[in-house]
Amino acid sequence: MASKWEAAEHVPFQFATARQKRAFIRKHALLYIISIPGVLFFLVFKYIPLAGSVIAFQNYNIFRGISGSPWVGLEHFQRMFAYTEFIGILKNTLLIGLYDLLFAFPVPILLALLLNELRVAIFKRIIQTVIYMPHFLSWVIVGGIIVGLLSPTSGFVNHMLKMFGIEPIYFLGEKSYIRSILVGAGVWRDSGWGTIIYLAAIAGINPDLYEAAQIDGASRLRQTFSITVPLILPTITILFLLHIGNFLDFGFERVYVFLNPLNSENGEIIDTYVYRAGLVDRQYSYTTAVGLFKSLVGLALIMIGNALSRRTTGESLY
Amino acid sequence: MKKKTMWLVAAALTAGSALTGCSGSGQPASPSAGTNTPAQKTKFSISYPTTVSTGYHTRIPDLSKDKWVLKLGELTNTELDVRVTEDAKMNLMFAGGDIPDVVGVIGTATTKSLSGSVESGVFMPLDDLLKQYAPNLMKQVPKAAWDAVSYKGKIYGIPEYLSNPSRRATFIRTDQLEKTGLPAPKTVDEFLNVLRAMKKNGVENPYQMRENFKYADVIFGAFDVLPYKDQFEVQNGQVVPKFFDVENTQKALQVYKTMYDEGLIPKDFATISSTDYTKNINGGKAGIWSANATGLPGYRTGNTQVTPSAKVDIIPSPKGPDGKAGYFYYTPVVRSFYINAKTKPETAAGILKFFDWMTTEQAEKFFSLGIEGETYTMENGKINYKFPKTQEDNEEEGFRSGTLWATHDATYNKLRLQLDDTGRDTLKAFDTVLAKEGLSGIGFYPDLSSFVKFPDLAAQQDVGPKLIIDHMIKMVYGKEPISDWPKVIEEYKSKGGNEIIKEATDRYNKKDGVIELTVGK
Repeated sequence: MASKWEAAEHVPFQFATARQKRAFIRKHALLYIISIPGVLFFLVFKYIPLAGSVIAFQNYNIFRGISGSPWVGLEHFQRMFAYTEFIGILKNTLLIGLYDLLFAFPVPILLALLLNELRVAIFKRIIQTVIYMPHFLSWVIVGGIIVGLLSPTSGFVNHMLKMFGIEPIYFLGEKSYIRSILVGAGVWRDSGWGTIIYLAAIAGINPDLYEAAQIDGASRLRQTFSITVPLILPTITILFLLHIGNFLDFGFERVYVFLNPLNSENGEIIDTYVYRAGLVDRQYSYTTAVGLFKSLVGLALIMIGNALSRRTTGESLY
Repeated sequence: MKKKTMWLVAAALTAGSALTGCSGSGQPASPSAGTNTPAQKTKFSISYPTTVSTGYHTRIPDLSKDKWVLKLGELTNTELDVRVTEDAKMNLMFAGGDIPDVVGVIGTATTKSLSGSVESGVFMPLDDLLKQYAPNLMKQVPKAAWDAVSYKGKIYGIPEYLSNPSRRATFIRTDQLEKTGLPAPKTVDEFLNVLRAMKKNGVENPYQMRENFKYADVIFGAFDVLPYKDQFEVQNGQVVPKFFDVENTQKALQVYKTMYDEGLIPKDFATISSTDYTKNINGGKAGIWSANATGLPGYRTGNTQVTPSAKVDIIPSPKGPDGKAGYFYYTPVVRSFYINAKTKPETAAGILKFFDWMTTEQAEKFFSLGIEGETYTMENGKINYKFPKTQEDNEEEGFRSGTLWATHDATYNKLRLQLDDTGRDTLKAFDTVLAKEGLSGIGFYPDLSSFVKFPDLAAQQDVGPKLIIDHMIKMVYGKEPISDWPKVIEEYKSKGGNEIIKEATDRYNKKDGVIELTVGK
């Protein structure tokens, strides 16, 4: 989280002698100790498993292990690109990711700004709790609820349409609706949860600024746009960049619960394909190759996003 | 791990010295399968497969000390270290390397749950051991079942088999049928007329359709075009999936489309999950449906709870133009059990005797009825069985007769079913209806290797290939014309189907892992 003014203030510690250095470390020993679990976590669960990616270049057999399995080079990658539907699946993944970024990302910001304007504390708390509750439901349940709501025979949405004299629509049976449903379901489930960070950022703004603005006669709207938004912009940028890093990780189960033969042409993403083609058939190497490819695209996206952000706003992840 | 090995070695040494001790005293240990068990207890670990993460086995903290396991050990002179492994977690067990002496799996020797362990030599071939220690088992199990647990000509597994591979049946709400005044449908046309009449009488889903045609394939069956894994057939000298029969596939699709257009099946069947399907049937919303025949007692209870006057019966499935009817024949193996190649020969012999015992009458009684004086009593030769009343009791019965009973004819549990009316009706359905219908086909065990290469073209036991199902559903929904079916076959061929057909034909000609599922044994 190094922004440009922070970077200017940042001066690394310099020690005159080695003894001084040791004394400094001893003084903050507790801090070093409490950092150990975190460091270990990343080492054990994130860095060491990275080495397992080599099976993407092998014909992995669990009884022979990594050392005993034959090497096949880029065969699995070739097979991936030779698959006729692969371009379609990649396109779905990118499009759904893009829609998610465009439509789902701003919602928590808007919600946080709106919530911030509520003056009755109890009302604000209730609203906040209600909108972040869905986050705790698993996707299977959310899927069940939404499939039920959109059902052409018994669903609430179609009942409403019928009241206005519109023929029932089989939403999940039309491939044109599936992406909106996927992104919409995500908005319903997670935007309330997403507001928490923004609300915390807003709470950190110095009240003096608002006071000064009020004295100068700024309206509430003016205050929001001239004080709140610019001051939470660093948070927004960081979250935006993190989101780009997860651009392709739309999630397996949130798509899988909505897919059927009528909509999979527009709905299938890399994750669901990996599940279908790889895990169900126990093709560990092929699955790893597809996953690795996905990670590379993700890495490229985050590097581009980061560079763009550093140029335009001065904020960047690294 | 080291400690465990030491113990095993110690145990083996003791067993060995005990044996020599015996022969030394002039009583050679008989290697033949004696019904009289030797004094030595065979000790081994066994993993039973399951598909569920709930049930009796999850409530017992140490299954090795469970009352049924202990009793089973007593009856078979064994000491069992029992665990129950979820099918989905089998690959974790293999990856972890902690493989018990006996591993049970749902399916055959080359099923995916075994992760290729048979091919990798994790388990021992059993041909000689079976002949020596399990002669009864050898005789009882049909050949098709042995074939399904073999790999490269050697038997690796001990199967829980099906003598009658026709398992699924057409269910009807007899009371709703009576209301229509029509007789039970015998042909596809009559079937449609009954559905129409039911619709008129206000039945919400005259035929309870479901996503991917799963448990909703009665029409494909009537036209003999089921798109499943074991439903290959010979056409013009080539082994091809049955949906290559353009004429009949189109006719079947047309019937489904008619049902869809006239509202005889739910309009949103493409998203009807198995949960909705069961809910609709038990909620009394369905008129006719397809399900496993063993589900009859459950559907009766479910339907009468909502409508006390409801009557549920199994009827013969409607016949197609060629007189064919019913559902696909199941693989003749439900579960199978494999012996770790590292198991000591003495232990392996004991294990085979353990499985051989399961074919006896004593075993049938124990697994079906439990312990005399506890779960049943005998009165003048008549059995008084304490029927399970609660969900817990049901699960306990399921653990005893379903999970623990490793090898036997799993078509039905005759002893248990004979005890009440619904059970007798189920038996009757099996013997008079199911035995006369069902569709034979050619299947490949291990799977065709081209299936792995083209996952979209790979069929499962009861679901067609994704590419085929996608087109079929679109055609029923009127999004593609049914007349395009030849184009679908061309697409299938060009996307890898040609390779599948070639491999299937080659293997069929070479008789390499081919199982022909036909009626009778």
